[in-house]
Amino acid sequence: MLFLRRTLPLLIAFVVGTLAILIYYVPHTAAQDLEQELARWDRIVAAFALLIGIYSLMRLHLTRVKRHNAGWGYSFLVFLGFGLMMIFSIYNDGHGPFLPQVADTGPFVWMFNNVQVPADGTMFSILAFFIASAAYRTFRARTPEAAILLVSAIIVMLGRVPIGGLISEWIPWFSQWLMAVPNLAAKRGILLGVSLGAIATSLRIIFGIERSYLGGGE
Amino acid sequence: MKDLLINLDRRIIFIFIAVGVILPALTTFPLPIKPTANVRAVYDTIEDVAAKNGTVLISFDYGPGSMPEIQPMTLAVLRHCFRRNVKVVGMCLWPTAVGLVQQALETTSREFDATYGEDYVFLGFKTGATSLVINMGRDFHATFPQDIQGNNTADMAVTRSINGLKDFDYVICLCAGNTPDGVWIPYGQERYKFKFGIGCTAVMAPDQFPYLQSGQMNGLIGGLAGAAEYEKLIETPGTATEGMRPQSVVHLIIIIFILLGNTIYFLYERKKGGVR
Repeated sequence: MLFLRRTLPLLIAFVVGTLAILIYYVPHTAAQDLEQELARWDRIVAAFALLIGIYSLMRLHLTRVKRHNAGWGYSFLVFLGFGLMMIFSIYNDGHGPFLPQVADTGPFVWMFNNVQVPADGTMFSILAFFIASAAYRTFRARTPEAAILLVSAIIVMLGRVPIGGLISEWIPWFSQWLMAVPNLAAKRGILLGVSLGAIATSLRIIFGIERSYLGGGE
Repeated sequence: MKDLLINLDRRIIFIFIAVGVILPALTTFPLPIKPTANVRAVYDTIEDVAAKNGTVLISFDYGPGSMPEIQPMTLAVLRHCFRRNVKVVGMCLWPTAVGLVQQALETTSREFDATYGEDYVFLGFKTGATSLVINMGRDFHATFPQDIQGNNTADMAVTRSINGLKDFDYVICLCAGNTPDGVWIPYGQERYKFKFGIGCTAVMAPDQFPYLQSGQMNGLIGGLAGAAEYEKLIETPGTATEGMRPQSVVHLIIIIFILLGNTIYFLYERKKGGVR
């Protein structure tokens, strides 16, 4: 059992990981064909991962309802929303599940346009209110570095909207310079650091040093 | 007064923001919108594609949450393409974009009498993201044998001659997630060297500048402001142009609150030596 639980997954990770890296850099047709095949397998796995995601979400909310956790009533909405959308999707405005989804009419489209779009849009727009409140309370020039950040933020906020150009034509120019020079330098540094970290983690997984993806188990 | 400002109820700030959004949205006052070089680059590339009667692939990777920012640029880019007879192939790496894109395609294709299959095709959503792009790179028809309506891509005028990503004259990613730098650049643009531009949410835009400088992307439409600039370029004002009024006022309100908060800090809190 230890072979199936630990050795085999580590072996698969090593073989497939090494192969995937190698074929990325080999332009030979055989290597490219193998890459195409692996990518196709990955897409099939990804489709099944969607099903696992749905199962995991349903199980989580079922547990909440069973245990009467705080806000367990909201978990019913998950079942209601999922169930209704699934029924409407299969119904497909009377055309059934085997024909392409009807895009302009029907209960599925109505629910998408009148429930999901406004609900998601509202969640996103609430950010503006919280950002304003948080900025008032916490965005303080406590140190010289914080002061530089604050001044830069104000210039970018003004420069990214037309009113900045009305105040002075230098504001949009300076805003663009801040984005294209200091911001770019910082982002590139972060990007290089993150990429090196990702490479290191990938190598640790391929060589079996990092094993947390195997799960806790016994 | 001092205590009121120090302990300002956040609901007061919320009211200011709400009024700052609602009033400018209900009124009209002109604001100068000047297209930036990054937005103009996307526009100019589509003009170049139009000159050679080419095809553009647009990857729509967003959802209802980011719809207020991205949908206006979707509409603006599609209007530009259809007006200039650029063929459009649409696809989604996010399933939530499908419904929004179908609406946008329907609206814009009707405005310009664009015909499905001849002027544009919509492929819909497929799982895989990185693997999907790898597969599309070499064999487009095997990856998308059919469009969202079940038509064969090998039979339709728009997609008939497309064999891989290299055959697209321009690839645009309109997105709210990491699909440009996580998917399209490493697995698509870097390998197949096609021209690549993006439109993204304002919060994502600063992350894209390293790719702009390296030439891995040639243009960037950032946030609602970017969408408004694109609307200005195509001379068709839409919701992004309208949105510049509330956005300008709200930015001003937030700046005023930041300055007020710092004034209070320097007048009262800093003297106490405490950090609230």
